[in-house]
Amino acid sequence: MTRLLIVEDEQHQRELYAMELQDEGYEVDQAANGKEAVEMVKSNKYDMVIMDIRMPEMDGIEALGKILSRDKKIPIIIYTAYSNYKSNFMTWTADAYVTKSSNLEELKDKIKEILVSRAV
Amino acid sequence: MKIRKRTFYRLLLFVLPDFLLALFLVLFFFTDLVSDFSIIMLGLILALLFARSIIYFIKSWFFYNKRVNLITNALYDIKKGKFILPKIEIQHDDELTDLYQEIRTLGKHLDSIFTAQKDEIDKFNDVYNSIIFSISSYFMVLNEFEKIVFATENFCNKFQFDQEDIKGKKIDDIFYFVNARLKGGIRQVRETGDSIILEKTHLLSINKVSIISDIKISSISVQGRREIILLIDDVTSKLRKDYQISLMSQISESIQHDAEIERVLYTILTGVTSGSGLGFNRAILFLVDGEFLAGKMAVGPDSFEEAIDIWSSVQVNELNHSNVDSEVKKHGIKLLEKVLSTKYSLKEDNIFIRSYRKMDSIHIYDSWTDPSLSPETVSFMDVKEFVVVPLIVGNRSIGVIAADNKFNQSPISNDLIELLSIFASQAALSIESYDNLANVRKEMQKIQERQEAIVESEKMAAVGRIAAHIAHEIRNPLVTMGGYANRISQLAKDPARSRDKIVNAAEIILKESQRLERTLSNVMDFTRPAKYIREFNNINDVISDTIRLLKNLFLEKKIVVDLDLKGDIPLVKSDFNQMKQVVLNLIQNCIDATTPGGRIGIFTDSDDENIIIRINDTGSGIDEPDPNIIFEPFFTTKITGVGLGLAIVKKIIKDHNGEITVVNREVGVEFTITLPLPA
Repeated sequence: MTRLLIVEDEQHQRELYAMELQDEGYEVDQAANGKEAVEMVKSNKYDMVIMDIRMPEMDGIEALGKILSRDKKIPIIIYTAYSNYKSNFMTWTADAYVTKSSNLEELKDKIKEILVSRAV
Repeated sequence: MKIRKRTFYRLLLFVLPDFLLALFLVLFFFTDLVSDFSIIMLGLILALLFARSIIYFIKSWFFYNKRVNLITNALYDIKKGKFILPKIEIQHDDELTDLYQEIRTLGKHLDSIFTAQKDEIDKFNDVYNSIIFSISSYFMVLNEFEKIVFATENFCNKFQFDQEDIKGKKIDDIFYFVNARLKGGIRQVRETGDSIILEKTHLLSINKVSIISDIKISSISVQGRREIILLIDDVTSKLRKDYQISLMSQISESIQHDAEIERVLYTILTGVTSGSGLGFNRAILFLVDGEFLAGKMAVGPDSFEEAIDIWSSVQVNELNHSNVDSEVKKHGIKLLEKVLSTKYSLKEDNIFIRSYRKMDSIHIYDSWTDPSLSPETVSFMDVKEFVVVPLIVGNRSIGVIAADNKFNQSPISNDLIELLSIFASQAALSIESYDNLANVRKEMQKIQERQEAIVESEKMAAVGRIAAHIAHEIRNPLVTMGGYANRISQLAKDPARSRDKIVNAAEIILKESQRLERTLSNVMDFTRPAKYIREFNNINDVISDTIRLLKNLFLEKKIVVDLDLKGDIPLVKSDFNQMKQVVLNLIQNCIDATTPGGRIGIFTDSDDENIIIRINDTGSGIDEPDPNIIFEPFFTTKITGVGLGLAIVKKIIKDHNGEITVVNREVGVEFTITLPLPA
């Protein structure tokens, strides 16, 4: 089963994503900030990380760097309420940048797309 | 044994008549041989005795006289100072001879004493002379009629006098004019006997030699007459150096102080004309102005009376900015006016343009006869001898200085022209740097304008940043709300089974919408120009109200509040609720930064113009180079914060014409608000 890690400080959002993605058939773990995410990646194997940017303790960009330095191959999607950093995501070596929306279809599509391309 | 001739004569004179007399008397008593012949014999003997007395007397008299004369002469010699007396052949040892010998011995003693004394005196004289001549000061003695009794050689050399010639002259005879201070000083010293020192006194000899001097006047009493001693220290070169240094520093100072260029030029020309400067009577300055060489400044008296007035003034003029204007106005107005209205085209040919173009000084010895001068120039300068030197910077010339000695008609030496040229190059640099400064200022102005444009575009960028932040703050709750709404619509397909989930989702949507409203009202408060209700409020009431509001929070976090509100604080025109918002936001901030058990201090104070509110904490402080950044919109260190609380505070305070600053303390921070009191 494909295992995802949701990194998001807003509890309601995090839980919503988890429910929606579980409905899609993924196994979903949750982290409330970058620091927690880095710890969880150390002890678990994830097929993908969905990362918010602005978070307490450790922001998404720093966490992304730490995760990639352990496992270069792990796919990461940046999922944020900021629409103005989209041009930066390549330099952060993330696989995709999706702006948050109440409609989760874009996120779900991106996840599928990346997983397929990785599988090939 | 040979009988000496003298002894023989002595025998003949003293012994022989007595022997013959004795023989005769023996023969007379014991024989009858004595007859007529005997009478003749007696007479003969008596005659012999008489002759002996005569000879003896004459001889004694002669020798006595001779010796008395000798002694008289010896005493006379001694009196005259000739202590070494001739040795005489002693024929007869008597008192007079002894006396002479005594006198001779005395003479020898006197001579040795005198020689020793004379050596001392000579030595002293040498020392004295070398003191007099080695001091660089000039030294002059005036008798009771103020006539010169003595003047040192260096004085005469300096002022080109003959040391013998000036004896018996009065100082009025040797100086072109005598400073009133000097005359008064001499009189004062003669009357009181106390020494005085006249500093920086201008002396100008009839030979047109001029110095600035410190003159010490003192008096001595010689045989009941009061003589005056003048000790004259030539301080011209010292002053000149001081002057040039001070001139240069003042020029640069005037540049720094953004003085008018006129002031700089005046300062320069004062250097040319002042006695402690180059000592010219008049100086005129032309500068290139576009296609012209234009008169820019002139310094110097208009008339001989003005000249004397300046020279006899209390002291040699010190450079002093404060009196520059008044001095300009006082002297040489006509000259200045004439110069300022003079302007020559650079294509013209006259002496100023020539000096400017050739970058060389021109010395006119006699302008009345010089063929190279135009009648205009002659009447413009109106002086026999003058000099024009160029103002050169690097390899180009920016103007000229003309200088003359119109009033004392002192000849202009080549040395002086050399000095003037050096001075002119320094002056040129000063003028140039002034010009450069003016250019720099213009550039600065441009840069500032450009900077303002940049700031304007920065502001635009800031607006973009702010928009992005706002978008982020709004999107997050929207996303949550939309997401849960979506979910509700799906759950609603089977409402009975999903009732709890739907309720839960609806509650989340409600919470998030409230959060969104808060954010929006914050943003709107910040951006919308607030309408304030301005009343006279007591700031202490504002604080008391706010603290009451936060009472529970303080208790919860166990924070101690130190409150010190000034009684009778003046009322300040303000919006009560807005000020409450300010105090609330600040205290809230302090509470957030302070760990449980910390302290928050709130103080009010006032002075004549302001009300001062200080709020401090024992929190974590601000880890930023400039702590005031916390007042920037959207600056936040809090996860849940929007970064508008303190920005709103700043905006309200600004709208009340007040100021707010924050500084890090040893522990925590302190906010200080000043609110102006109504004038």
